[in-house]
This record gives sequence, structure tokens and C-alpha cells, in this order.
Amino acid sequence: MIKSDTNRRSFIKKMAMLSAMTAAASMFPGILFATEQEKGIPKDANLDWKKGPCRFCGVGCGVLVGTENGKAVAVKGDPNCSVNKGLLCVKGYHQIMCIQSKDRLTHALVKKNGRYEKTPLSEALDLVANKMKETIQVHGKDAVAMYTSGQSTIPEGYVASKLMKGAIGTNNLDCNARLCMASAVAGFLTTFGADEPMGCYEDIDHADYFITWGNNMAEMHPVLFSRMLEQKTRRGAKIIDFATRTTRSSTASDRSILFEPQTDLAIANAICYEIIKNGWVNKTFIEKHCNFSKGITNMGYGLEDHYKFSDKPEKIDFESYKEFLKDYSPEKVSKYSKVSVKDIKYLAAIYGDPNKKVVSYWCMGMNQHTRGTWMNNLLYNIHLLTGKISQPGNGPFSLTGQPSACGTAREVGTFTHKLPKGVVTNEKHRRLAAKIWKVPYEQIPSKPTYHATEMFRAVDRGDIKFIWTQATNPLVSLPKTSRYRAGIEQESCFVVVSDVFPRQTSDVADVILPASWHIEKSGLYGNSERRTQHWDKMVEAPGEATPDAWMFIEVAKRLGFGELFPYSKENHVEEIYNEYRQFHEGAKHGMAPLEVLKKESGAIWPYVNGKSTQWRFNAKYDPACTNGEDFHFYGKPDGKAVIWQRPFEEAPEKPNKEYPFWLNTGRVIEHWHTGSMTRRIPVLHQAMPNAYVEFHPDDAKALGIRNGENIKVSSRRGSCVLPASINERGLPTKGQIFVPFFDENMLINDVTLDAFCPISKEPDYKKCAVKVEKV
Amino acid sequence: MPIKSYLAHAFTGKKEELLGALQKINQCEVVPAKNEDVIVLVTDTSNEIEEETLKERIEAIDSLKILSLVSGFNPPQN
Amino acid sequence: MKKRIGIISFFVVIFIAFIVIWNYSYQQRFEEAYIPIIVTPTGNFIPSESGMFRRFDDGGLDYSNMPVDENHQRTLKEYYDNRAYHGAPPSIPHPVTIELSIGGNTCIQCHKNGGFVEKFNAYTPITPHPEMVNCRQCHVTKNTKSTFKEFAFAKPKPPLVGKGANNAMQGSPPMIPHQLQMRESCIACHAGPSAPKEIKVTHPERVNCRQCHLPKNNETLKHIDVSTFLRQFDSLNEK
Repeated sequence: MIKSDTNRRSFIKKMAMLSAMTAAASMFPGILFATEQEKGIPKDANLDWKKGPCRFCGVGCGVLVGTENGKAVAVKGDPNCSVNKGLLCVKGYHQIMCIQSKDRLTHALVKKNGRYEKTPLSEALDLVANKMKETIQVHGKDAVAMYTSGQSTIPEGYVASKLMKGAIGTNNLDCNARLCMASAVAGFLTTFGADEPMGCYEDIDHADYFITWGNNMAEMHPVLFSRMLEQKTRRGAKIIDFATRTTRSSTASDRSILFEPQTDLAIANAICYEIIKNGWVNKTFIEKHCNFSKGITNMGYGLEDHYKFSDKPEKIDFESYKEFLKDYSPEKVSKYSKVSVKDIKYLAAIYGDPNKKVVSYWCMGMNQHTRGTWMNNLLYNIHLLTGKISQPGNGPFSLTGQPSACGTAREVGTFTHKLPKGVVTNEKHRRLAAKIWKVPYEQIPSKPTYHATEMFRAVDRGDIKFIWTQATNPLVSLPKTSRYRAGIEQESCFVVVSDVFPRQTSDVADVILPASWHIEKSGLYGNSERRTQHWDKMVEAPGEATPDAWMFIEVAKRLGFGELFPYSKENHVEEIYNEYRQFHEGAKHGMAPLEVLKKESGAIWPYVNGKSTQWRFNAKYDPACTNGEDFHFYGKPDGKAVIWQRPFEEAPEKPNKEYPFWLNTGRVIEHWHTGSMTRRIPVLHQAMPNAYVEFHPDDAKALGIRNGENIKVSSRRGSCVLPASINERGLPTKGQIFVPFFDENMLINDVTLDAFCPISKEPDYKKCAVKVEKV
Repeated sequence: MPIKSYLAHAFTGKKEELLGALQKINQCEVVPAKNEDVIVLVTDTSNEIEEETLKERIEAIDSLKILSLVSGFNPPQN
Repeated sequence: MKKRIGIISFFVVIFIAFIVIWNYSYQQRFEEAYIPIIVTPTGNFIPSESGMFRRFDDGGLDYSNMPVDENHQRTLKEYYDNRAYHGAPPSIPHPVTIELSIGGNTCIQCHKNGGFVEKFNAYTPITPHPEMVNCRQCHVTKNTKSTFKEFAFAKPKPPLVGKGANNAMQGSPPMIPHQLQMRESCIACHAGPSAPKEIKVTHPERVNCRQCHLPKNNETLKHIDVSTFLRQFDSLNEK
């Protein structure tokens, strides 16, 4: 009886509601009410929403985090942020769940007799500072090193750089962005003399063609890919996927073109050959704005310790460049690249058509390449020859993988050769840094020391006696971890790890420092499109977890550099950012003031006269252009960009009889990098619980491998056992296998090769030779 | 046991505010319109007196411009 | 004269044609009979997950601008009523045109792109796998309402939809509570006028569904202890 009564009441209520809706409809024709689905979604009446950038990839989506009673409980896309316009990907929506993981590091842990002991943070910092001091006294400044991250905030990177280079006086500072963005940086610097893309994400709204070079954007930069798909359905823009593996991006594209690993160098040259042959060159543009150069070839691959290389550029003319390209006719290139002549000509025709706007996107496929700098140069060649650059909808766009690879690693300069402005080898730049840091100019050493790979080689050799890592997991993410894990486990090196979760790297630490996560501190990130984004602390960190920047400052004080770090605990983020801004003053790199960043969902630098500069080097948009022409590549002294003559060279290790497969590694949409955050998010872990090895169906058939069977993948360096995946997420080309690297239980980087690009020092994770066997 | 339905008109741009205020009241059920400043409101009270007080409470909300009654039912209790 | 030339040239043409044809057939008898060997093309595989994008590519339907016909919406209950259990192939609730057919074009002509059918006063449901043409292999008609014997099959409960059922946090995107085999094409069932109203997506124009919605309850590998990656440091020294 009671039930029927409630039924009746709810029926009457529905009637009442319907009559009200009908009445409303007669008053406001065309009125729309919230639909069935939306009714179920809880209203966020008592949630407090705060803005910030997403913690994960380099796209830099704006997120709103909802907090309730001091706990973060919900995430939504920031509709005011022009990057993502309210949309996120699955990682973004669930990011805050990882901080509720029960194995959070909440207290400092110090290793004593092989066991970790809970230690008060101040005591642990004392120990770190003493150890650092002692190491410097006994072994010299260059025996201490710091390895930071593209996930460190701008203030964290800045303090790290000031501490190492300014206060201590060593260039032993490098970061994990060396493993992902170094080739892009070297590419920008060699071609334009100024780092970071000239365009912005708004290019997507204008382009007719999107050409992705070895880049699975549907999984790695999903929000940008969604914007591209939107343009595809709305305006008929075309997506062309040029890769070595058939992925979600390939199947969503208008055309998928597959090539043999490493031959992208030859194909880019073949496209230039076709552009010149068919007269598609923008002659006035290259006459006014371009130089031609060539560099040293046969550079080697950095496989041996202490490898050194510096390029010697040599100016050439257009005619000799044309002569050089003769080896790269589509017919010749097609033979070894496995791309048909027709497809090469098709790509060239898109770039060559003066009426079509083209944006090229790339990320790790081109950067993690033993000729990564060259590959970046070659793509710029295509855009420079056709003059399709620095205009809305036209241009090369280098994507990043970490939230602040641009903001922190590249702009603050947490690389061994970098300073917040310029490089250590330049006296003017050192003098500027010394002035702002208030240290004697002689204090900053003029020679770069170790880049990431070499830094861990030095640890292995015993040259580095003290290393401090933050917000990164090198023992999963370095290439050839089989060597570097053994190296860092040695007694000779004292290892300090600042982190949020225990992970492979903290397993070998002597001191583990508990770090605050993203929303537990204030900070600033800088994304791929030069957008700087600020966020305020939203929730309290558990236990003694502390922001990385403050831990650096505490150690600096203990080392006796207190007067160089006069920041307050509550306000250090603001104070540091305001100090850092002085480095970039001017029209070429001016950063937005903090008040603007607090109010808006990010601002793009150069921020001049209260305005973001969306397209650099284009006089119409960029106030730094001063040569009176339409374009001004002011990064170079003569205002001209460089078209580089870069040949095709083989990969350091190619498949042979014994090791017949190419090994390619990468990511999946569910997990981000080494998975220490995303694997702690139940939704993501359940969808992708473990890594796998992907085969081409033909190869699998020939080897008798079935889906899910355990396969041992081994190279000359190490091996790894994973379940086979055939025709699931993606399809590598024949003779190639693919393994995602997020899984710390299946360490594929034990297998990879630590060869790197001699110019950028970025390792190649995409190509080495392996064999496979069933186990 | 009166059940009444109303159209609640909010001041321009104050719909979200009104919506939040109405949602906090237990006896109210709301369906907001997507493209107008109008909210459909259904109230469910146990007796006339409660109904009166509720109405006064709703009318006291600042963001409410007009509250217009559309229909009312009073199913008998058994 | 003219007429004569015309007649002669006509015969000349016929004669030439005769010679050509005779020669051709003469040559042909020397050719040996053979069956052409077609090499199976390789390298044209498509990952199974591409199904997600399929309907957007070849359907040609503008999902974002499809009007909602309130009066003819399916409900989730109707959707489940038509199948033995959650995940089972639905039976055919209407008379079929050609009983002899395996399905193929007979079914596909309506079930590929859908549309309103006056006779049934409903929109045609769209199949997520139009490439599988032997429809009647799995989908059978319903010709009687009786059962052969008394029947007791506990129909398992279908996954819940709505508030908090499949999402991890309030307002976060719901996860996929069902298997994806043969149902890779999300919008076949989650968009358009035939989609059950409870599971109709509000944003079909987003295309890349699995950017935000992931399969739930993926099975973990048996030989790997997942708990190993949750390393408990404190337990080492606190006990």
C-alpha cells in the first residue's frame, strides 16, 4: 500500500512538472530543459571550484578541481580555457584520485642498515645538506648532481637552477625533458635561434590539412585531436597520419601512410625535392627570410661513455642544396622507405599547394630519434621552402609530453647547458644570471657537464657521488635501465629522491623526501603553445609532504646560502616567479604578470602590453618584429631562419638475423609516462592493467603467437616478458613490435638502446633490434 | 499532501544562483531550462501549513524575479 | 557511284572485322587454361579498435544535429526486453521479408543507417557491426510467445546507468560497463533517434569516445601480482 502511494505521488509530481513545462513552452517557444542524462548528475552546489592546468601531458588543458571539506572530490574541464574549452581526457577527469592512494609518501624515510626509517623532515633535510656539503668538500662541486623534471613547476625549476648553478657553482643539473624534448629544442635553436613553437593551438581552427609525423595524437594528445576531429566534421579539414604503426589516430585520419623506421629523414628530403622540382617554392620568402647551411655528417650515436660532439655549421647556397637533394627523388627514397612514390608525391603536393593551409604535428616519433635534431630541421625546411609558417593555420608545431617541459625545463632551463635566459657558454648570459641571482659572475661555470644519459653513466662510473631526483622516475624511463639500475644501486653514490609515491627509483634511495602533489601546492606550468598557467593550492598535503621548491630552499639555507634564497614559506611561489620574470623582460619573451595569470586561464608569452602573442615572427601579430618586413626571425642575428642540409643516415642498430625485429616503445591513452600516478587511479588501472607487446598479424602467424601468450622480448642488453597483443590497440608494421613503457612490472627499457642524437643528446626509444620467443 | 508546480523566473544571469538556492530546500524538485532564465519547480509538502512556510521561504530568495503557479494537486492521505 | 562506294566500304569493314575476330579466337585457343592466383594482401590490417570511428566515417550522418523525437524514443527497458540477457544478441521483433535470406542486404538496408518506420511506429535500431552480413546466424525471429516447457532462466541484471553507477567521481565521465566485442562502434547504440533514451550520449560530435570513456573491469593478468606495485614503505618499519 505504501509503495503504491509513493508511486502515485511520484506520478502526480511528474504530471505537475509536465504541466509546468508545457506552460513554459507556451511562454518561451523553443525552450529546452535539462535532458534525462543530466538530471542524474549531482549538482555541485556546495563544491568549491578552483582553476589550474592539468597535471599530465603537455597540452596543458585547463581544469577545475572541486573541493569539499578540504578534500578534492571532482574534476571538470575549464570552459574558459581556450586550450580545451571544457573538454578533458580520461586521465584528466580522474587525476585527483591518485592522491588518495594508500601508499602515499607522507614522511621522510632514511635508509638505515637496509631498512627505511620514518624521520622528521627537518632531520632528513639536515642529512641531505650535510651529505651534499661533505661530498663537495671531498670530491669537488662536480660530484653532486640534480636530476629534475618537466613536471616540476616553474618556481621549482628556477630554485633548482639557482641552487646548483648560482649558489653551488656546478652545471650538474639536467632533467627528464632531455629524454623527450631536447631534439625539439635543438631543432628550434639551429633553425630559428629561438626555442618553442611559433604558432599556437588556434592553428587547428584555420588549417586545411593536419599532417602528423610519427605521432599518435588520438591517445597522446587526445584533447587536441578532438579539436582536429571537430574541424574535420565541421569544415572538412583533412588529417594525414604518417607513422610506423597503425594506431587509433591512423584509423580516425583521412589517410594513413606507413614508413620504415628511420626513413622519415629521407622522406622529408624527398618532399623538399618535389617542392623544388615542381616550382612550389615560395621564392620571395626564402630570399628574404632564409639562409642555407650544412653541418657535420656521420656524427655517431653516443653509445660510448664521454662521447662529445659539436656541430660546425657551414653556409651553402640554394644551388648546392638543390644538388644535394638529387639523391632524394621519390623513386629512390621509395625503395628503402617502403612508402610508395605516389604517397610521397601526395604529401609534397599538400605542402606545395599555395592555397592549402598545413600544420605539421609531431612529438616523440621525431624527437626520440638518433637524428632527432636533423629530423626537426628537415620538417622546418618543408615549411620554410613553401613559406607556410607563422601564420594562422600554417606552421610546424612541436608538441610536448610533460606539463611544464616548456615552462620549466626549456624556459627556466634546467638543462646542464642552460640558464634561465640563454646558455652557460655565453658570457653575457652568465653575467645577467649572476646579476639577478646576486652571485659573483665567476661562480657560474661556463662549461656544460652531464646530459641525462651521461649523468647516469657518470653515476655508474662513480664520478657522481651524490644525486637528487625530483618528480621523475629514471629507473623506469631511462633507456637501457639494465645498466643504470645496477649503477645507481652501488654504494658509491648517495641517492636522494623527492616524490609523491614510492616507485622504482625511490627503491634505491638513501633518503626519500615526501613531496606535495600538484594541487597540494601553488605553482606555474608552461604548455606546448607557450602558455603559462598558474594555480593556487587547493588542498592540504598529507603528513609532512612539502613542495619541492621549499625543500630546495631549506637545503640551500642549511648549505649556508640563506641570503640568496630570501623567500617566505607562504609566498615563495609568487616571490620566485617575480624574480624569474626579470630574465625574460622585453618583447621577445616577456612573461605575463602574476595578477593576469591568477585571473585568466593562462597567457601566451611573449606577453607584450597586456596581450598574448599568438604567432611569433609574423609582423602582423608579433611586436618583436623590427625589420619592416612581413616576417622577422629575430632569434638569429641576421633575422633569417636556416634551411639545413641534413642527409639520411641509418639507425645505430638495425634488425638482423639474430635480432630480427625493430622495437618501438611508447604510451597508451590510459597511462601517463611511467604510470606511477595513473596506475594508482583505479579506473585507469582497470582499463589497462599491464603492458603488452604488439605484433603485426602476419608476424604473429609466422611465429605461431596467439593473443595473450607470454613473449620474451630480448636485445643485446636485456629482456622483458610481456603478453602478446594482436590486432588490438594498434598494429606495428611488419617486422616491428611495439611495447608501452608505463609498466614497472615489465620494464621494457631494460631492452632499449641508449644511443642518442649527438646534437640534442636525446635518446632514441623507438628503434633497436630485438628477438622474440614464446615462454 | 499538496503537490504544486511553479515556473520560477530568475533575474537575468542569476539562474545558477537560484538553482543552487532551490536545490538546498528538501521539498523542492527542480528542472532548469537550458536556454532561458526559467526553472520548473515542483514542491511536495505534507500539509497546508508546511506549504505556506515553504512558499514564504522560496519567495525570500534574492535571485527570484517571479514565481508563477502552474498547477496544484492535493491527493488524499489514506 | 556514291552508293557503290558505300556498299563496298561496308563490306570491307565487315571483312576486316571478320579477320580480326578470327585471328583473335585463333590466338586464344593456344592459351592454356589457368586460375589466377590472388595474393592475399598484407599490411592492410586495421586494429579492431578502429570501430569507434567507423560510423562517423561512412555513415555520413550528422549526429550532432539530429533532432530528438520525444514521442518515439526507446527506453532501456525495451532494449533489454528484446534480448535473453544483457549482452545477448537481440531477437527480431518484426516479420522478416525473405525467410530464405541470411540477412545481408535485407537487414542492412534498414539497420545500417536507421530511420523511422511508420508500420512499427518506431525508429530502426542501428547495428554496431554492419560488416557482419550473416545476420540470421545470431538474430532469430520471435514467432511464438509460449515456451516449450516451463522455463526458469534467471536473467542477470544489466549494468546500472545514471547517477554514480559507472563513474568514479561526481561529474566524471562514466566508464563502459559492457563488453566491446562486436560493439566497438559506440554511437550505433548511444546516439541517433533509435538510441535508448537513458544511454543516449549528449555529445556525439566528440567522435573519439574512448578518450574519456574506458572499459571497466578489464581482467588483470593472472600471473602478475598487481599488489606489488603498491609498495608500502611504512609497513617495513612500523610493525
